[in-house]
Amino acid sequence: MTSEAAPAPEARFDELIHPSTRLSIVALLASADWIDFAFVRDRLELSDSALSKQFATLEDAGYIAIERPVSNRRRRVRVRLTESGRAAFEGHVAALRAVVASAETANVKL
Amino acid sequence: MADHPDPVEAGRALDDIDLRRRQIVAEIDVPAWYWWGLALGWVGLGLLSAFTNAWVVLVATVGFGAAHSAIATRVIDGRHRSRQLSVRAEVVNPHVSALVIGFLVVLIGVTIGIALVADGLGAPQPGLIASVLVGIAVLIGGPRLMAFVRHRAERSEPR
Repeated sequence: MTSEAAPAPEARFDELIHPSTRLSIVALLASADWIDFAFVRDRLELSDSALSKQFATLEDAGYIAIERPVSNRRRRVRVRLTESGRAAFEGHVAALRAVVASAETANVKL
Repeated sequence: MADHPDPVEAGRALDDIDLRRRQIVAEIDVPAWYWWGLALGWVGLGLLSAFTNAWVVLVATVGFGAAHSAIATRVIDGRHRSRQLSVRAEVVNPHVSALVIGFLVVLIGVTIGIALVADGLGAPQPGLIASVLVGIAVLIGGPRLMAFVRHRAERSEPR
């Protein structure tokens, strides 16, 4: 069996993701299939309303999907990154790495 | 259009991304009840071996194995410790399930080995002694095994 490495994502700075709170949210979601609202709120130490506002922005952009399954008669809120959200995040990370790498290269030349 | 971040800001952003990834990696585990159930089941089989006949032990062992198979497939991948999230498969070592099963196979061998040694030394209830010792090993070794898996996931590059 052969395996091919996934192509490196195209570096693309994403202004919607870059603000620190939204970047933290998307970074958490990038390592999970889905995450409960409360988990994100607790890790980021945000209020429910502040987090809901950020989720709404990301959902409007099509970067996250919000699901509301009922479990043990309690309505839960689960959030997951969409494919376009994941592509945007990976492109943004590649752009950040490129900025850091270019600065390191410049320092070496000096 | 806003300017791109300077290198310092970009570095901070990457550090935060790494922190968030590690917060998810910290959730890689099996539910605590899994190790307790396994340890209690092990001791239970030891009790049966001490106080009932071989047929009862055989039926109980097969039943225990079947119940474990049904449950383990859903939890031993390390991605579903709690109901708060599902860790992405790429973040977890794909061999976690094999590691846990391998751990259990080793413990079965250790149980037999301890029982044989205890029997050779003339100890009363060698099967029970072995199962209690291995039950304790499950409670101590299981969480340590998952800590090792988390440690490896932390050090690995995102796939």
